[in-house]
Amino acid sequence: MKLNAAPVNGKRSYKLMIVDDSNIMRRRIERSQQFEELELVGTAGNGEEALDLFRRTDPDVVTMDLTMPRMDGIECIGRLVELKPAVRILVISALADKATAVEAMEKGANGFLNKPFTDRQLNEAIAELMR
Amino acid sequence: MSVAGLERRRQLVTAGLGTALTLVMGLVLIVGFRLATHMRAEVTALQAASTLQTYPEEISHQLNTLRDRLEVRAYSGKALADLQETVKHFDQELKALDATRDVDSPQLGRALLLWHEYGPVLDPVVTFSGQPYLDTDSGGSNLSREGREHYAQVKRAQLFAADNAHALQAQLSSLASTLQQSASQAATRLRGLLAAGVLAALVLAAAAGYFQFTRARHERAARDAQEQTRDILKTVREGFFLLDANYRIGSVWSEALARMFGRSDFAGLSFEELLKNLVTPATLATATKYIKLLWGDRAHENLMKSINPLGQLEITMDNGHGSKETRYLQFDFHRVMGPEGIKHVLCSVGDITSSVLLARELQDQQENANQQLDMMLGMLHVDPLQLVSFLDTAETGLKLVNAILKEPARSDAEFRKKLTGLFRELHSIKGEASALNLKSIASRVHALEDMVSECKKRPELTGSDFLPLVLKLDELLAHLRSVREMAARLTDMKDSPVTAPAAVPAVPAAPAARTPAAAEAPRPRAVEDMTPTLQAMADRLAADHAKRFRLSMHGLADVPGPYNATIKDCLIQMLRNSAVHGVESPQVRRDSAKDEAGAVRVEFRRTADGYELLFEDDGAGIAVESLKAAAVKKQLISEEEASLLDTRSTMALIFRPGFSTQDDVSMDAGRGVGMDVVARSVYALGGKIGVSTHPGKYTRFKIVLPAVDSASSAVA
Repeated sequence: MKLNAAPVNGKRSYKLMIVDDSNIMRRRIERSQQFEELELVGTAGNGEEALDLFRRTDPDVVTMDLTMPRMDGIECIGRLVELKPAVRILVISALADKATAVEAMEKGANGFLNKPFTDRQLNEAIAELMR
Repeated sequence: MSVAGLERRRQLVTAGLGTALTLVMGLVLIVGFRLATHMRAEVTALQAASTLQTYPEEISHQLNTLRDRLEVRAYSGKALADLQETVKHFDQELKALDATRDVDSPQLGRALLLWHEYGPVLDPVVTFSGQPYLDTDSGGSNLSREGREHYAQVKRAQLFAADNAHALQAQLSSLASTLQQSASQAATRLRGLLAAGVLAALVLAAAAGYFQFTRARHERAARDAQEQTRDILKTVREGFFLLDANYRIGSVWSEALARMFGRSDFAGLSFEELLKNLVTPATLATATKYIKLLWGDRAHENLMKSINPLGQLEITMDNGHGSKETRYLQFDFHRVMGPEGIKHVLCSVGDITSSVLLARELQDQQENANQQLDMMLGMLHVDPLQLVSFLDTAETGLKLVNAILKEPARSDAEFRKKLTGLFRELHSIKGEASALNLKSIASRVHALEDMVSECKKRPELTGSDFLPLVLKLDELLAHLRSVREMAARLTDMKDSPVTAPAAVPAVPAAPAARTPAAAEAPRPRAVEDMTPTLQAMADRLAADHAKRFRLSMHGLADVPGPYNATIKDCLIQMLRNSAVHGVESPQVRRDSAKDEAGAVRVEFRRTADGYELLFEDDGAGIAVESLKAAAVKKQLISEEEASLLDTRSTMALIFRPGFSTQDDVSMDAGRGVGMDVVARSVYALGGKIGVSTHPGKYTRFKIVLPAVDSASSAVA
């Protein structure tokens, strides 16, 4: 399954959405990712917001927190994949137990990154996600 | 190229060669058959031609005979019949030879032409059927008219035969030789063909042999490979197996698997069934989901490895001796790709129990080291002399505990008695450790006390209930040894003359003497000043119980060596009593118009016939009624007995084993062990203890001890 995106200036461009209930974490992810082809289309603080934003902006790549107020990440992943099966979702969560990771993968996530993470880990995870 | 590719190519070559050789052989046989058929026709024709070439001469000869007969007027019927027969045969056979398609030669044509001319000449002769002779008496036998005609025809035929019979014979002879030549050539060709056929058969046989040989070699190699695979699977320490698309285990698996799971029916077993009774349902559900994910196209190997929920799987299984055993298994999964995507999932299982346990041990050691460091820092605040004194006392106490544990006991009552004894000793050690703020020791003794309490609650006691206590005691002794070593090091650093005595064995060969004083006797050491210990303890107690003390101590420097430990034990216990029961909280004291800080006075002095220790606090005193109520509650006495007790006897209750007015168990009080320990050690030294109190005003303990010499004799 390849990501579909319109070429911009001869280069593929992907739309990125960041979902995390922590403002600091959202900014951290935005600042730390080093992919020129990723264009941030919006950030959301909970599952419902994310769903709404997703419908409006149709992102290709999503980073998703799991523990959030109003609709948690796991449910949100399922809904996003229903809306757009080709979406690539990277779960970024402090929940370190493998059962949660497996659950997220089952719902349709494509990658898993544990908090706290280094910039390098984040970029590696995104690179793996977009491969 | 892969082994499978090589094998396929070999099979193709074998099949191609086999087909080619079969075709060649078929062709040889067909051509050979046709050639043989042709030859057979040639040979038949040759035979016919050979026979035919004798006929013209025979016909000439028979014509001669017929003419001779006719001339001498002899009987000619037989000669004519012979000629008829010969001509008929010749005509038939020549025509038959002509009818054979294979024989198409100019000689035959010319022979036929000649015969076509010869035939009409012969025809009137052979068709003659009249009477050739006419018999008369005068002239004898003469040719009849028909006979003369017949004679003339014979002569004409003879003449024709003389001119042409030779030529006809020559043509037929030439035909025969041509046919022979042709047959001979056909035979040569057939021989050549057969030789080629034999060659082809030989090549085929050789090829078949070669391929049989290479196949055998390949089979041998395959067998060797199979055997090696078997050996690997038998020897390897990891469990290996393949999972198919239905999450079932394949038919090949390593034998380590059988050792790990205690079963051998893996082939066809589903992964879920494998783990079913070994892990919790939640883990099983996660594991099953994970396995399903492995077959999906989103599952990158690295990602899947990072979320593997079976990386360290704790399983509980029978160890074959009826009890359960916990083991740690590490599952690793690798996808095996085929031309059409994932073919299998290779699963490797390692038993990592020892490394997990080692890691835990390391962690424990790390924690232990940290604790030791903490303790060392704590010990820096304790006077080395005090510390060594405490360690001696504690060791003596623990020896006693050990001795109690070793005491033979059979009945439940005896076991309970042992427990009570253990409790007292431990309590005393804990008190002193707390006083010195040696938290690591105090908490360990407290844990041991908890275990003893647990034991007490059991409805029935047996010897095996004491085993965990022995283990815990060993641990405690080991800890004390390390504290002592550290103390020695500290002392060395501080350049003090105190040296660390030898470590105490976990289980001493003989029970130690009953009293701390006697235990101390063989180990002379500097006389300890217990004042700082008690002061430190008072401070700690004040902090722990949110109370304030003003501790004044007099004459403790005069405590003779043999009494030192006992006096200290007693003072620690009484100080704790004061902290918990005696001195009120600052608030209460303010309300009672007392000074916020409780005054605790300790006095030791020499008397005419020994020594006297006075311990007094200006606390709440002891309420006789609450003492009685507590004693009844603890079932030390019945209500009836309680009502009969006078004040003095009631006060004596506090020296009874198991007595406590405190419901909550804390480090300092509440276990019902305390004053009875004090009383017992005093009695052991031949002394006496008394208590007097005034509710709301004071509590005073007075301990009278004999002179040192008589005390020793009392102990002995």
